[in-house]
Amino acid sequence: MSEGVMSKADIEAAQHLQHAHEEPTDFVNRYLFSVDHKYIAKQFLWAGLVFLLFGGVLAMLIRWQWAFPAQPVPVVGNALFPDTGGIITPPAYNTIFTMHGLIMVFWAITPIMIGCFGNYCIPLMIGARDMAFPKLNLLSFWVFLVSQLVVAASFFVELGSAAAGWTTYPPLSSNVGTPGLGQSLVVLALFLIGVSSITGAINYVTTVIRLRAPGMTWFRMPATVWGLWLTSILNALFVPVLGSAGLMLLFDRHFGTQFFVTGAAGGIGDPILFQHLFWIFGHPEVYILILPIWGFLIDFTSFFARKPAYWYRGSLYAMICVTVLSAVVYGHHMFVTGMSPLLGQAFMLLTLTISVPAEILFLNWLHTMWKGSIRMTVPMMFALGAIFVFGLGGLTGIYLGTISTDLYLHDTMWVVGHFHLTMASAAFIGSFGALYFWFPKMYGKQMNTMLSKVHFWFTTAGLTLVFCGQLIAGYAGQQRRLYDPFQYAYIENLHGLNQWTSYFAFMLGIGQLAFIINFFYSVFAGKKAEKNPWGVGTLEWTHCDSPPIHHNFDTIPVVLRGPHEYNHPEVLEKLDRDWIGQCEPWPGDEAEQAPAGREPEAVPAE
Amino acid sequence: MSEPQGKRMSTNVVDLRPAAAAQQRSKELTSAIGMMVALGSWTMMFGALFFVFLALRDQAISWPPPGLELPMVLPTVNTVVIVVSSFTLAHALKQLRGGEHRASLRWMLTTFVLGLAFVVLQIVLWRDMWNDGITTSTGTLGTVVYGLTGLHALHVAAGVVVLGYLVAVARRRSSDVPNRQQHVISLRLCGMFWHFVDVVWILMFLGMFVT
Repeated sequence: MSEGVMSKADIEAAQHLQHAHEEPTDFVNRYLFSVDHKYIAKQFLWAGLVFLLFGGVLAMLIRWQWAFPAQPVPVVGNALFPDTGGIITPPAYNTIFTMHGLIMVFWAITPIMIGCFGNYCIPLMIGARDMAFPKLNLLSFWVFLVSQLVVAASFFVELGSAAAGWTTYPPLSSNVGTPGLGQSLVVLALFLIGVSSITGAINYVTTVIRLRAPGMTWFRMPATVWGLWLTSILNALFVPVLGSAGLMLLFDRHFGTQFFVTGAAGGIGDPILFQHLFWIFGHPEVYILILPIWGFLIDFTSFFARKPAYWYRGSLYAMICVTVLSAVVYGHHMFVTGMSPLLGQAFMLLTLTISVPAEILFLNWLHTMWKGSIRMTVPMMFALGAIFVFGLGGLTGIYLGTISTDLYLHDTMWVVGHFHLTMASAAFIGSFGALYFWFPKMYGKQMNTMLSKVHFWFTTAGLTLVFCGQLIAGYAGQQRRLYDPFQYAYIENLHGLNQWTSYFAFMLGIGQLAFIINFFYSVFAGKKAEKNPWGVGTLEWTHCDSPPIHHNFDTIPVVLRGPHEYNHPEVLEKLDRDWIGQCEPWPGDEAEQAPAGREPEAVPAE
Repeated sequence: MSEPQGKRMSTNVVDLRPAAAAQQRSKELTSAIGMMVALGSWTMMFGALFFVFLALRDQAISWPPPGLELPMVLPTVNTVVIVVSSFTLAHALKQLRGGEHRASLRWMLTTFVLGLAFVVLQIVLWRDMWNDGITTSTGTLGTVVYGLTGLHALHVAAGVVVLGYLVAVARRRSSDVPNRQQHVISLRLCGMFWHFVDVVWILMFLGMFVT
């Protein structure tokens, strides 16, 4: 990798290779079938937020059931369950917890975190005019939207939507375990979201490889782009495995094949194979959902501690390491399926190994903030919240990665608490942090700080209390997914704990109103945002307006340094501010033309 | 992959060719990288299918089940057909890069016919097997044979449709330079996919019918 020095010809070539397309003016091309990455990002954001609300309502229903089993749901009960006077029936309950999981993972977090911020940040932060394949990007969104419609439709067919748990294990998800069209529609929708994710991933991976601005070397890329890029690689490689599993399941359900059918059903397939395929996909999936957040966190801790990211390369190597390891640890989801103890131990060892790079990242975040001039902006608060819940989730995961403790904790609420803290809470808080951070750029408007902070406290405190309550319940032996856990004598005494956990969950739910009000108000009537309200040096803030013009940049920027140049003494002295942009000439060098690409005297990345 | 460089033009004309060629190479590389990522996805998809196939075969008491025999003749013929089609398509791309538009079109048509023949023969194969008593629910054998070959044939069919579209575009014989360059890229991507599907079939043939 040649650092810094670029020939004039290279820079000119870069200007030519990416055409600036005319902004479409007709309604269809501008708003419906837009190929502009910024607009597609917003489409993903809105589609994701709607389903986030949907998944959240389902979560509230689960919590209601666990606090007040078989009692009529207040307010919305009669509308949702008219036949029973508002009481959640066992089949309805199965559908609710199944669809809560699937919707949150595939139709809420994925579009917001990867669909929205992947699309929005990657081209702007690497200095590209758009994605490498804009039409593929359009396809990705529309396939996604169709999959959302299929999910929504599945609720209205006979016997309701999917009810075999989010993991969709056969034989529970076979024709025998879950008859009806709903389950098939949801599996089909999973296949479609897979297609959408893969087409998106092809775009992101290629864009980062091919369309970086001159001087944007790999290690000058913001960590956000790294996180999204590594996530896309995992998406491209492992989502197809889920696609295959889903196809085979559909074949079993509709064409009489017997891939996963066995035993009393008369087949000679093997249901455990589905679990293998599911987790070969499923374990990378949890890293798919956390790697972008790690990227945000590396950037935000540096941006708002006004310090260069501590051991930036180390953090990036750690993320690469996790990406590779994530492919070989999936067996820890299957310790109790009767796998060979030797194999189990190998998976345990690999699983615990993954905590080493994760630890490096964690220490680097802390070290970045250490003695920094921390600014408690809203995105920084969300970053700290995400670090906190991710830390809790990481620590509780060690008990699940170790076979001896997993045998006891398997299938309890401990598991639910653990994965909600890591991939749900951290992804949720991190994504909202990112939304508060990039909102001024996306919409050119400011969000209300007070409401944002209210949203932060409700969210972070709510999520922590809810999932810590679940950890305690699980440690005490409460099994997950029980319709009425308190029928069992050994769980009966946990009713109070469950009720409190539910109250915290309702507070969490109510707290989201602060966001909804803030978001709508700010989008339509917010105060105009400045070009660079946070004072950071990455390209989208220094080289673009808020919001950016249709083709992002009038000239493709020439990148001269990394993304985290804060409080450099020379910059402080000459520019009287504590940051310098990635493509900004070094103070005093303005006369000299940019191509020389001079490095700052002290490279603070180490 | 080297781009054919045009002869040096006379010096008093501004030579736009090197810049255009660089742009073409850059576009082609970008598309090829995208296609490679996509093929990585497809590899994992077929990999998962093979994983299930091998695991089920390993668990079966006997393979093939007693009294059932998988046909050999048609799959062998099909293997020859699809391997030859890969070579004809590679040749079509070579001709197109060399500017031999008509020759390229002929080779593309040959490939198209071979691809179509593969799909038709595959349907004949399924009909024969069904008549011999191997159905989708005849235990593991039927399940994996129909499941895997079916998904594979769908991919071949998709390739045939894309190639048919490219033939239709090529027949319009547009001499416009950007269109021709776009055509080279499209044919190359189609070729990458075609060779991939070819390799998948060879593995399927070896793993399912031969052994």
